[in-house]
Amino acid sequence: MSDELLSVLTPYLAERLEADGEVVVDQLDRIAVGWSHETWLFDASWMAKGEPRSQGFCLRRDPGNALLRQMSDLGEQFKVLRCLEATDVPAPEVYFYEEAPAVLGAPALLMEKVAGVCPSPWGKAGREFYAAAAARGVLPLSFTESLAAIHNADWRAVGLDFLGVPELGDAFARREIAKWRLLIEQSGHPGHPILADLIGWLEANAPSTDRLTLVHGAFRTGNVLIADDRVSAVLDWELQVIGDPMYDVAYMLTELNREGTDLLSNVVPRDVFFDRYESATGITIDEDRCRYYQLLYAMRSAAFWMSAAGLFADGANRDLRLARTEWSVSVALERAAKELGY
Amino acid sequence: MSLEPAELLRRLSASLRADIGPAVADEYARTQAFMASVILERVSRQLELGPAHARAEDAEMVALVDALGPVLAGAPPAVSSALLDVGNHHTVASLGPLLEQLYAWGSAEPRVIEALGLIRPTLRKDIDRKMAVAE
Repeated sequence: MSDELLSVLTPYLAERLEADGEVVVDQLDRIAVGWSHETWLFDASWMAKGEPRSQGFCLRRDPGNALLRQMSDLGEQFKVLRCLEATDVPAPEVYFYEEAPAVLGAPALLMEKVAGVCPSPWGKAGREFYAAAAARGVLPLSFTESLAAIHNADWRAVGLDFLGVPELGDAFARREIAKWRLLIEQSGHPGHPILADLIGWLEANAPSTDRLTLVHGAFRTGNVLIADDRVSAVLDWELQVIGDPMYDVAYMLTELNREGTDLLSNVVPRDVFFDRYESATGITIDEDRCRYYQLLYAMRSAAFWMSAAGLFADGANRDLRLARTEWSVSVALERAAKELGY
Repeated sequence: MSLEPAELLRRLSASLRADIGPAVADEYARTQAFMASVILERVSRQLELGPAHARAEDAEMVALVDALGPVLAGAPPAVSSALLDVGNHHTVASLGPLLEQLYAWGSAEPRVIEALGLIRPTLRKDIDRKMAVAE
């Protein structure tokens, strides 16, 4: 597949970078397979106006059959990243977006290759990495400050209101419920009565918020790049919304995002997070609202897995990891039942 | 001698995990081999446990319908209709529409709270059975 991509990528870059002659692409490497968009990293070198130039790039392509394909549009990601350039949020600089599949083989986004590592928090090596970084003390602060920067961003001033702005009150929670309900319906999955119980409960208890911020939607270790113990870039801008900042805070507090440790998201001591987040944002953490959003995350997880299993079931994607998610639905629902008290 | 389907699938799963997967050089294909092993193991477990699970579900649903009848007597027509469907099907899946109608009636309604208190233990037992396959 890399040869096929290379054949369209090099002439494309030559034109967009206004190169004198050809662009040489090195180290073209696909770093993720199947779940979401294709992600490729590479280095490019070329001559421009007689001067040698080089640059690392990250290319994301939308094959059209990936998880969350209905709600994760690369064009929207491009616009979000462009808006974030005017904020303090550490994020990659974006260069080009090509919607026409004919140009790069699929709709594609080209952005900066940011220095840093992104260890998976689900494996032993990743957990050890984050535990060691937590002990040194710098990353927990940088991680928390990155979330604070997202919530402090003046989203209206930088143009992020195109994401849709819910009214104050319970509109945000209701909009999220409706979004995940739609994904469940689109999945074709038969569902389970626990989901009906969960959705009924969520609708009957939707919390009110009096403050709207940019919300990342999946802020955790594994979705940020780290260089020198600091967050060099927040990644995975696929689920962002304008909404209740407690939605992100709940994701920080959830046990789902840590394994065998009390460190939030595997890296931040709870008291450090509360102290630094509240002082950096002026927002008081509302643990009751966070508990509500953890139930909403249970619905979201079930919707993810139903959607993934549906992609395999309807033949859109042959990746067997998607087929396995049929049983992940049960795991998400079991958690929901526990959160509902049974 | 022939193998039961569940045992055949279990052995295929073991072979994929121990022999075939590790011999595959390509990372993506190797992951697919391991995933196939996991899936076969779960399908095997599903085949093995399926009959006992179905019997348990049926018995629990009979008891639940009996218990719900008096609690939901005189409930709004949509709730009564959904309860009738549960009685006709005796499946956990048929509880979904009933739950939707109960919430539509009102989560603060005392009889809804009482009905939820009866339904939820049945849902717990069902998800426990599903977890016996999933884990």
